[in-house]
Amino acid sequence: MELLSNLALGFATAATVYNLTYCFVGVFLGTFIGVLPGVGPLAAVAMLLPVSFYLPPETALVMLAGVYYGAEYGGSIASILLNIPGTPSASVTCLDGYPMARDGRAGVALFSTAIASFFGAIFGVVVMVLLSPALAEFALLFGPAEYFAVMVLGLVAASVVSTSGALRGVMMVCLGILLGTVGVDINSGETRFVVGMPELRDGVSLVVVAMGLFGISEVMVSARGATRSYATERISMSKFLPTRSEWLRSIGPAIRGSAIGSFFGTLPGTGQTVASFVGYALEKRISPRGDKFGTGQIEGVVVPEAANNAAAQTAFIPTLTLGIPGSTTMALMLGALMIHGITPGPRLISEHPELFWGLIVSFLFGNLFLLILNIPLIGLWVRLLRVPHYYLYPTVVVLICVGVYSIDNSIFDIWMTLAFGVLGYVLRLFRFEPAPLLIGFVLGPMLEEFFRRAMLLSRGDPMVFLERPGSAALLGIALVLLLATAIPRRFLPWARPA
Amino acid sequence: MHRDRLISQVGPALMLLVGLAFVVGSITTLELGSARRMGPGAFPAIVGGLLSVLALVTLIRNVRQPMGWDQPDPISVLAVAGGVIAFAFLTPLLGVLPAIVVSVLTTSSAVPQFRWPGRIALAVCVSVAVWLVFVKGLGIPLTTIRGL
Repeated sequence: MELLSNLALGFATAATVYNLTYCFVGVFLGTFIGVLPGVGPLAAVAMLLPVSFYLPPETALVMLAGVYYGAEYGGSIASILLNIPGTPSASVTCLDGYPMARDGRAGVALFSTAIASFFGAIFGVVVMVLLSPALAEFALLFGPAEYFAVMVLGLVAASVVSTSGALRGVMMVCLGILLGTVGVDINSGETRFVVGMPELRDGVSLVVVAMGLFGISEVMVSARGATRSYATERISMSKFLPTRSEWLRSIGPAIRGSAIGSFFGTLPGTGQTVASFVGYALEKRISPRGDKFGTGQIEGVVVPEAANNAAAQTAFIPTLTLGIPGSTTMALMLGALMIHGITPGPRLISEHPELFWGLIVSFLFGNLFLLILNIPLIGLWVRLLRVPHYYLYPTVVVLICVGVYSIDNSIFDIWMTLAFGVLGYVLRLFRFEPAPLLIGFVLGPMLEEFFRRAMLLSRGDPMVFLERPGSAALLGIALVLLLATAIPRRFLPWARPA
Repeated sequence: MHRDRLISQVGPALMLLVGLAFVVGSITTLELGSARRMGPGAFPAIVGGLLSVLALVTLIRNVRQPMGWDQPDPISVLAVAGGVIAFAFLTPLLGVLPAIVVSVLTTSSAVPQFRWPGRIALAVCVSVAVWLVFVKGLGIPLTTIRGL
């Protein structure tokens, strides 16, 4: 019955006109961003961070989360209509979605995508409702050593998925942690590495790092990229409803996809892309029509869409209950919470129940909005894709500048953003991915805090991390993960460049 | 080929420099403390050390199997950076909206197909949209046009 009262609290928080409006704005913007190739959900969430400072924390998180899962929806639209994945995790949807569209069945593909996504998302939400409180309760038993180990595991997981190899990923994590040490040390009150700039006393702002690394440097990379317009072939939209046999064929794949997605979503570092690839590969093997996958089978659209939307929801489980972001976007969500003075971790659910349950209920509303939005607005998205996308980049640059400036009216922050933009660009040139850097930057200060506390409790004995079974097990998993990446990447289906 | 190999080492070499800088910075300017009570310098020194070691490993591995690198696109970098610089300089002088117009015009020069009428239209639209959303909608206190 506790669950019911919690959900009632969630409804009371989420179902206000104010929060519903921001939820709608979030999913709408998210779909928009997802449809447009070139700007990912990460940049979108980063750009909205400064706006979210002006909102109450629940509303801020509801909106940012809406952008994030809305982009999953939008990504599949570009995949099906244009064979261009709007988001990386939608690339699997191209395999069967685009052939369906070429057969004149784009309407059916989009409709089944909407239904499968909705189903997957709801499945993920249910998993989250059932699992999060239990996990949080378990995590309360953690001491500083275990926390340190969980964070190390999260950081390792974030770096091994980096396409340029685990070694470079770990280096970027280290760089992020080091950047996080700039400013006043909370233990001693001493300032560190401010190199004579008083503006750095409070540390480098998360918004500045995120906007520079993912906004400015992305624009630098893609502004002059292939600027072909995405003029589509005439696509018949007359039919939306799948046939009766297609409905029946989709039930199994939808459930399997959702289950796989929910599982991978909770693991740090894997996320939606891996979930949709694994779901598709598995379905291809077990389906009686598996040999026809890739020619426009409805199952090939249903599975990845159910999987990546389920994963998008369950990714919030470790983020909110342990304070460990599984992906870069989740790291930004975590940062948004911390800016509002809320420490994510096992106490979040009991200390801020309205935030946690409100967010969960907002997922239900948001996914409902998406379901209703998706079909009637497809015409709009298609027209939008015909606009040459060089209109986009100057707009993004200005939004970044205004966003950063609006936080503190600080010109210094804008110069810092530019510096991080150039840094991100140079790192990309030399095949260093900036994503693990951001996760290291967010987790770094907490990692240091728990490390110092654990060492204090053990009286300076570093063996504490191996003697406590919990932390030893977690560090062991991290080590196995690192060693496993020594396997050549061509054997991993999801690591191949798309 | 020789030059390519040398350039591909720039990335790891930069990482090595950053790592060492943090190690040296922590040791010379901050208290290291003891293992039990660590000072402010201990953690950055450890992480900086780890980064340096990893960068060194990468440098050595890179000699045998050099990792590729991408050609920079100076025009794109200059146009985008120019847009940001224009905003940073003009906002305190003229206010946010004129700064946005110049910023859009500067950034859009990256794409040659982007003709002047389109660029001007975009600049006007973006500044009106920012005014509507940020100033009117969200009520963020920005100096829209200085002296107005």
